[in-house]
Amino acid sequence: EQDEDIKRLTKPQSTINFGAGYLFNDNARFGQFNGLRDDGFYGIFNLDIIRRNDDTGTWFRLQGRNLGFRNRDVRLEHSRQGNWGYFFEFSQTPRYEPFTANTAVGGIGSSHLQVPTTPTAGGPEHLKTERESFAFGINKFLPANFELQLHFKNEDKDGARIFGRGNRLGPPGPTAVGGYEFLPEPINYTTRIFGATLNYNGKDLQLSGGYYGTLFENKNKALTTTGGSSVGGIFAPALFTPIALPPDNQAHQAFLSGGYSFNPHTRGTFKASYTIASQTDGFFPTQLAAPGAPSNLHGKVDTTLVQAALTSRPLSKLNLLANFRYEDREDKTPVFLYNPNAFNVDLNGNRWTGFNTPRSFRTFTNKFEANYALPMNLRLIGGIDYEHWDRTGTPQTTGHRNSTDELSGRIELRRTMAETVTGTLSYIHSDRWGSHFLTQTTATGQPFFNLIAPINLADRNRDKVRLLLNWEPFEPLSVQAAVDHSWDDYNGDRNNSGFGIKKGIARNYSLDAVYTFSENLQANAWFSRNETQIDQANRTPAPRVPWSVKLENLSTSFGVGINGRPHEKLDIGTNITYSEITDKFKQSITEVECCPGNTPVPDIKFKQGRWNLFARYALQKNLGLRLDYILDYFKTNEWTWSGWTYTDGTRLSQDQRQWVNFLGISAYINWQ
Amino acid sequence: QEEDDSEGEAPDIVLRGDGKCTKCHDETSDYPVFAIGKTKHGTVADSRTPTCTSCHGESDQHMNNDDAMPPPPSRTFGKNSTTPILERDQACLDCHQGGKRMNWIGSAHANRDIACTSCHQIHTDRDRVRDKMTQSETCFTCHKEQRAQINRPSRHPIREGKVVCSDCHNPHGSAGPSMTVRDSVNETCFTCHMEKRGPFIYNHPPAQENCAICHNPHGTTAPNLLKVRSPFLCQECHEPNSHQSSLGTITGAYARNTLARGCMNCHTNIHGSNNPENVRNEGLFQR
Repeated sequence: EQDEDIKRLTKPQSTINFGAGYLFNDNARFGQFNGLRDDGFYGIFNLDIIRRNDDTGTWFRLQGRNLGFRNRDVRLEHSRQGNWGYFFEFSQTPRYEPFTANTAVGGIGSSHLQVPTTPTAGGPEHLKTERESFAFGINKFLPANFELQLHFKNEDKDGARIFGRGNRLGPPGPTAVGGYEFLPEPINYTTRIFGATLNYNGKDLQLSGGYYGTLFENKNKALTTTGGSSVGGIFAPALFTPIALPPDNQAHQAFLSGGYSFNPHTRGTFKASYTIASQTDGFFPTQLAAPGAPSNLHGKVDTTLVQAALTSRPLSKLNLLANFRYEDREDKTPVFLYNPNAFNVDLNGNRWTGFNTPRSFRTFTNKFEANYALPMNLRLIGGIDYEHWDRTGTPQTTGHRNSTDELSGRIELRRTMAETVTGTLSYIHSDRWGSHFLTQTTATGQPFFNLIAPINLADRNRDKVRLLLNWEPFEPLSVQAAVDHSWDDYNGDRNNSGFGIKKGIARNYSLDAVYTFSENLQANAWFSRNETQIDQANRTPAPRVPWSVKLENLSTSFGVGINGRPHEKLDIGTNITYSEITDKFKQSITEVECCPGNTPVPDIKFKQGRWNLFARYALQKNLGLRLDYILDYFKTNEWTWSGWTYTDGTRLSQDQRQWVNFLGISAYINWQ
Repeated sequence: QEEDDSEGEAPDIVLRGDGKCTKCHDETSDYPVFAIGKTKHGTVADSRTPTCTSCHGESDQHMNNDDAMPPPPSRTFGKNSTTPILERDQACLDCHQGGKRMNWIGSAHANRDIACTSCHQIHTDRDRVRDKMTQSETCFTCHKEQRAQINRPSRHPIREGKVVCSDCHNPHGSAGPSMTVRDSVNETCFTCHMEKRGPFIYNHPPAQENCAICHNPHGTTAPNLLKVRSPFLCQECHEPNSHQSSLGTITGAYARNTLARGCMNCHTNIHGSNNPENVRNEGLFQR
């Protein structure tokens, strides 16, 4: 019997778990990714079969999770540890659209849709996409510390998702509404990722080099329609067909990375890669091709990456780190004229380019950090980060600058040893600036717009303070408090316009506690408050009245959990999580002469809670019963779709209050 | 790295030469160790697997002491360990320094005094951080903002264990920013969203530069993981010409910029359009 006990404690154990669950309520949110959307019975089936041959070190493992649900996973592994191995993996991930579409649009899921020409009521459609992936890999250890790894993954994604077309333009002027139509996008994608890696794992030197390939294939080249609204003359939605869908593309990368320990205190690492990406998917037939335009984009993007880092401990108390990264994404796509009409002056006096828009980037990222041990178990860390971007491109509907630079400095004080109180206090300051903004011009060559600096290009000062405290006031209790504040000060305007992004603020507060009542009973609780705020300004369409908005996101979350073994045969666990999130849109004005009838954007509130309970009772050493219960709650006043009707009559809606109960009862069997 | 410590009096139970340890550290002790036999470390047929002393050191003072509370082993890994973190990690790195862990030394985690055992459990057959259903709980012990964000209405299926932190981040360090598994943010996103890669005839500049300019992958209240709702998000870059600078409103003509897909009601191919037909606003992603 002692041998049996030893075996039970030291040998891998297999488990099968099977039973049934009942979902008491239809829902859209709870089942969004697990498929438990419609009420009814669902199978519970999980397995983890493990065998190890102790004489040869050969493992066999078959894992199946959620086999009775639509988000199932299966993985089979067979390996001789330290010698060879292979695996197969299957994974299924649904995504149910949480909004129900009541639509008369026909052909959903296909690349040709029939759209009502006038508003028409339709039946409910539950849009959904589903990913199914299959992967396998092989590894083989070779003499002299080499290892070869091969991997391949194929993922199919099918279904349909929210998409559409619309156009505000149309007679008699720019404010006339053309129409908006619901056109679910057909999804029929295949993504393949594969590669080969040769690793060398020496005592001081490690290398990893190989090939990484990715292919994307879309079975649908374009979305075409029949029907649709003819309101708007030549700008009528019905004429917006075909609509391009994502084109096939591929990339091939060769890479070499490595690490070398010069001595016990100094180590260097590097990675170099070269990637050739292309997009040569043939254009779909069109009626109006520009003269000289090619049959496909001949898209080609080559990316070079060089990264190197050196860490060293020249003194026992001092650590140094230097990191350099260079990435050059060179877009070599040839430029052709695709739209001669773009040269015509539009209703606002603009004219644009009808050429395709290849863009290249070069980034330099450098980091230096010093870490010094002070008395009293304190550690002082200082760091400087510098990032430089070079971009090609021209201003069109947004401002553009060719380069930006960002310099950050940070200082951190940390208690490093385990005591009753440990903590970290850090401060980061960064400045971003850049080259001059290129001037946009009108059709007649006069400066036009040049009023807003885009958020990713604008000058910015950022300050961030972070505090983390770990406290163990007495043995069974540990408490962790985390606070961070950051302030972004943007110069989002140009030419003193006063427009664009101005400020960003983020505040996060968290408190965690863990209490160990005994070896058989632990409890934990946590609380988080997260706040973000963005201030930005703009001006209305004519008569061009300045306005500003303060966008706030406020979230309060908490969780409580208990796990225990009140009896040697009984394990129980329960936890509750709850989140309440509010979006606020504080606009300085809500009504202007140009566009009467505005209604201020109401706050959006989400409340979401979940209670999980499980209990496992051992009938025998290797046999038992398991109970799972989930109570899920979702409530919102979200208005994203509630006030909206497409020109074709489609409306989207969701149940604004969703209670879901799920109860599962299953048996489990263990063996070795 | 073979070691033979099998000269002890007690028989080995799990690892080579573990008798001198397991004679005390059985299942009744405060520090039971038998479960390591269920793990890859316990596969003694693999000559690379460690002994107790490979990781914990020779621990002579610990073993040659009959006190009820002997001094700790030479190298310990628990939360009250006094072994320097570098020394603790070196016990792991002696074997696990290659491949995806090559960049550990110098990584943000290593520089923040995170030890391998801060996240990994060694003496158990179910390392929580290597299980998709429980991994995020380990990450959230420090990344609390993300713990709250994954419960937002627009999110990845992290709670369901279908997308996990390590699908996008290599916690052991990488050549990418924020320890992304690929060399850039976008290349990481493309592993699942490759349809966004293009290049297109007409490219939306921020989509090529960094997906995270518009999206927060950890969860948002705006649809499609957008950081801010339309039209406010678009107005952070676009010039106030005519309709694009409208107020946010849920009624009136300009509700078209706020409701439903907002600006994307018209600019539907927002990541880029590959439509070669040359008549109506392809360059504005309307087709």
